[in-house]
Amino acid sequence: MFDYFLQQLIFALAIGAIYGLIALGYTMVYGVMRLINFAHGEFFMLGPYVYTFIFSGLIGLGGLAPVLDSVIAIVASFVIVGLLGVAIERFAYRPLRAYGRLAPMLSALGMSIVLQSAVRVTVGPQPVHFPAIVPSAPIESLGGMVTTVQVGILAAAVLLMVGLTLFVNGTRLGIWIRAASESWTTSSLLGIRVNRAVSLVFFIGPGLGAMAGIMYASYYGIMQPTMGSVIGLKAFTAAILGGIGSIPGAMLGGFLLGAIEVFGTAFLPILSFGYIGTEYRDVFAFAVLILVLLFKPAGLLGETVSEETTVAKKDY
Amino acid sequence: MNRTRVLLSAAALLFASSVMPAMADDIVLGGSAPMSGAQAEFGQSQIDGAQLYFDQLNEKGGIKGNKVVFRPLDDRADPRQGTLVAQQFCDDSAVIGVIGHMNSGVTMPALDIYSECGMPQVVPATNPELMRMGFKTVVRPVANDFIQGALPAKYVTEKLGLKNAVLVHDKTVFGQGIAGVFQDNFEKGGGKVSGTFGTNPEDVDFSALIASIKLENPDVVYMGAGMPQLALFLKQMREQGLKAQFIGPDIGFTVDFITQVGAASAEGALMTFQLPPYDSSPELKDFSDRHQARFGRAPGPYASLGFANAQVMAAAVEKAETLDREGVLAQLHGVTVETLLGPVAFDENGENTTAPMYLYIVKDGKFELIKQ
Repeated sequence: MFDYFLQQLIFALAIGAIYGLIALGYTMVYGVMRLINFAHGEFFMLGPYVYTFIFSGLIGLGGLAPVLDSVIAIVASFVIVGLLGVAIERFAYRPLRAYGRLAPMLSALGMSIVLQSAVRVTVGPQPVHFPAIVPSAPIESLGGMVTTVQVGILAAAVLLMVGLTLFVNGTRLGIWIRAASESWTTSSLLGIRVNRAVSLVFFIGPGLGAMAGIMYASYYGIMQPTMGSVIGLKAFTAAILGGIGSIPGAMLGGFLLGAIEVFGTAFLPILSFGYIGTEYRDVFAFAVLILVLLFKPAGLLGETVSEETTVAKKDY
Repeated sequence: MNRTRVLLSAAALLFASSVMPAMADDIVLGGSAPMSGAQAEFGQSQIDGAQLYFDQLNEKGGIKGNKVVFRPLDDRADPRQGTLVAQQFCDDSAVIGVIGHMNSGVTMPALDIYSECGMPQVVPATNPELMRMGFKTVVRPVANDFIQGALPAKYVTEKLGLKNAVLVHDKTVFGQGIAGVFQDNFEKGGGKVSGTFGTNPEDVDFSALIASIKLENPDVVYMGAGMPQLALFLKQMREQGLKAQFIGPDIGFTVDFITQVGAASAEGALMTFQLPPYDSSPELKDFSDRHQARFGRAPGPYASLGFANAQVMAAAVEKAETLDREGVLAQLHGVTVETLLGPVAFDENGENTTAPMYLYIVKDGKFELIKQ
């Protein structure tokens, strides 16, 4: 039974790492702008498409060593999707700031449909095979089985998360982001260029989303234009579970949601002696979410925000 | 003002050229399947196959000297679009028969509309329920999902001697239904089903599920689901080292399945399909060549079915005393015809009495027919 548990824990960590990376995008944008960026799932979807485009372009041009091609394509996808995020914020969200919270949110929903349809029209709606970046090989240890892809995902995700934490807590630019999410008015009075902080957040969030997309496509071996919808919703859930606006909260929420899903599938039938099947996984996962919110409405690591501070923050 | 007039006349021209009226004595037959969207490859292949047969028929002088005009419309695999298409065919009194729709979910609501206007209908969709809803206007030459679930169950219990199965389905009418049919037949053959697992139709991660399936130590895994879920499941199953025999339904019978799983992991997987391969008989080979010549591409997955359905419809029209819906309908159920895919005759429900089903195995990155 311990082997089984360990095995499931590995699966939970791999999928949880991906949820966490996407949740970071939701939570950072919310932290700074109090906006739920519904287009975020599409940045996740764009990641593998941009990667494939650049990677096959490099191969077409003669290419370098395959490893180098991959690395260039990965970095380029981060930058391109990040810049797209910045552009979308600049042209689709910023002009609407003065009109309350509903208008930018609708704009985000529209953006999501635009991006998804654009990919569907240009590349086609069918799922496409995505070759694994790290060749998949099983590693057996402690009675469980791990694949190199899972290890790669976990390592890369943890690396990105640690990097982000250091960046936000230890650099000048990170101070901008934290200040802007505390209060726009005060930060701009103190000479912080709030719009730059917003652009920065809209670069990092989508970029991380794109990375998660590449990991995901490489894990499951396919990509398709609709892949961002369901997983975007789940990552959004993870962000709320951890406390939306909180960066460590998003990471925690991602891993937690992964664990709830996996252990729901793995242990519900066993614990209920077969009466509750695996098909109840989502019922279980979302029941947990509701329970957490009942006791901690701001999420696990979220700050309790009173109506007063919300108003102050909203008042850009 | 001037500009508006130019635009208007241009629009009128466009409109006139798109709805070219058929000549008075032409026989107009409708066809509908998804011709855009994710399932376009399947839908278009049926339409092409039917078109090929009607072209051939017209070259030989049509039916009783009347030219056949085939009018395909796109239903986008969407039930709402399907009912619109059905209404459109019904409203056009020139249309005296329809071949469609490809998806069971699209066919089901459309049946009502076709039956209301007395439209003779040849159905390519495979849900068993469709022919048991009491509509008298439909026949189905293709095998239904009862046969599709039964064949692999018989094969693994009798030929391979495998007795311990796990079922996975995506909780859809199709997936759950066909897994149930497999289970009935598998147990009849002396097998034991040690677990049934439900997933969501959109799921992509099956790793936790597969780990718990491994505890049951099955030697057969039957999966009733769509694509790409079939491919994702098998890929993850092999990654976890679960070596059980994998079986899936017709939806997985595409090259995408093998590329998405990877040829090595897909090796040995079984898949049921309603049609024989294009190189299995001289007639099919000939069909394939003519398809290549007519459309400039090899026939798609359901092209031969489209062709055979067109043969059935044409045979009913041929026998009809009057060339209208009533005339064709009177002959539809009694028609017996030797099609490209074998003999067709219908029972009281409108089901083909000898509908064949084929079992394929993935070998060296290709689907290969298992001879029975």
